[in-house]
Amino acid sequence: MDRNKPARILLADEHSLFREAVRVVLESQPDLQVVAEARDGAQAVAEAEALAPDLAILDVGLPNCDGLRATYLIRERVPNCRVMLLAPEEDDNLLIDALEAGASGYLTRGSPLGDLIDAARTVCNGETLIPRGMLGALLGRLIRRRRGEDEAVRKMLLLTKREREVLALLARGAGNDTIAQTLVISPQTARTHIQNVLGKLGVHSRLEAAAFVMQNGVLGELAGA
Amino acid sequence: MKNWDEWGCPIHRPEVWLRQADGENALYDPTSTSVHLLNDTALAIWNLCDGETRPEEMIDAICELTGAHPEIVSEDVERILMEFHKTHLVHWTAAQRSPADTAEPKVDS
Repeated sequence: MDRNKPARILLADEHSLFREAVRVVLESQPDLQVVAEARDGAQAVAEAEALAPDLAILDVGLPNCDGLRATYLIRERVPNCRVMLLAPEEDDNLLIDALEAGASGYLTRGSPLGDLIDAARTVCNGETLIPRGMLGALLGRLIRRRRGEDEAVRKMLLLTKREREVLALLARGAGNDTIAQTLVISPQTARTHIQNVLGKLGVHSRLEAAAFVMQNGVLGELAGA
Repeated sequence: MKNWDEWGCPIHRPEVWLRQADGENALYDPTSTSVHLLNDTALAIWNLCDGETRPEEMIDAICELTGAHPEIVSEDVERILMEFHKTHLVHWTAAQRSPADTAEPKVDS
């Protein structure tokens, strides 16, 4: 973004009165310029693709492609466009979803307009904006999630190459016979491998093993198996 | 950068109270009858002083969340944790430290 020019902003909210009010406030600042408005998520994505703004301010509850989905699509299709979500309240889960979708900022709709201006500048400057009061809870969740991922990787490392192949097939819903045929082994050997996989992962059923793969996002690690 | 392995995980001293009111966060230590005001970042770090979270985990999580440079985050976290340590608000799982000791920890053998 060229710091000598105003930041170009896309504003998306279902309510025209809200959009108009925010536009007036943002454009009272010489370094901020609203270049487009959208009333739903699909329109916001289309406008972002057409105009490549520096910042998209999206309401999380947009109709016709909600704010999270629109965030993901904008970040995917217009990588230089940063996204700030407006949410009805401070919600840890929503904030995590927003960050995972690619948002760089999160603000509640009840925030003072001055905070919105500061937030727009912060995000345009390449920083990430998180409500201060949500930082602690978010850090705790992030650390717990990382520990879970580390534990999943540790368990995956216990598996032999053959057991990974078996787990990949289990995750796709294969039964003993299919596993045996696919890997050209006997059904009894397939059962033995399955028991070993369940034991090493610390799960009690094939369903749990499949859920372990999905929940921990380790399908990619099994892709080469 | 500090080698946190010698320190282990920070943990609140159980007698220290956290009070939050009117947007302010304060720790009250009845032993020294001292009050310590925390900003939001220090409060977030304080809440992670649970005896299970290593400083490196705090640093990594803050970097991931904010996109800030690891060196800057490391300095901030170290400064805050050392402030907690010097004011005896936390102790450490891997070290036995005398109250006056603010240098290197003596690790349990």
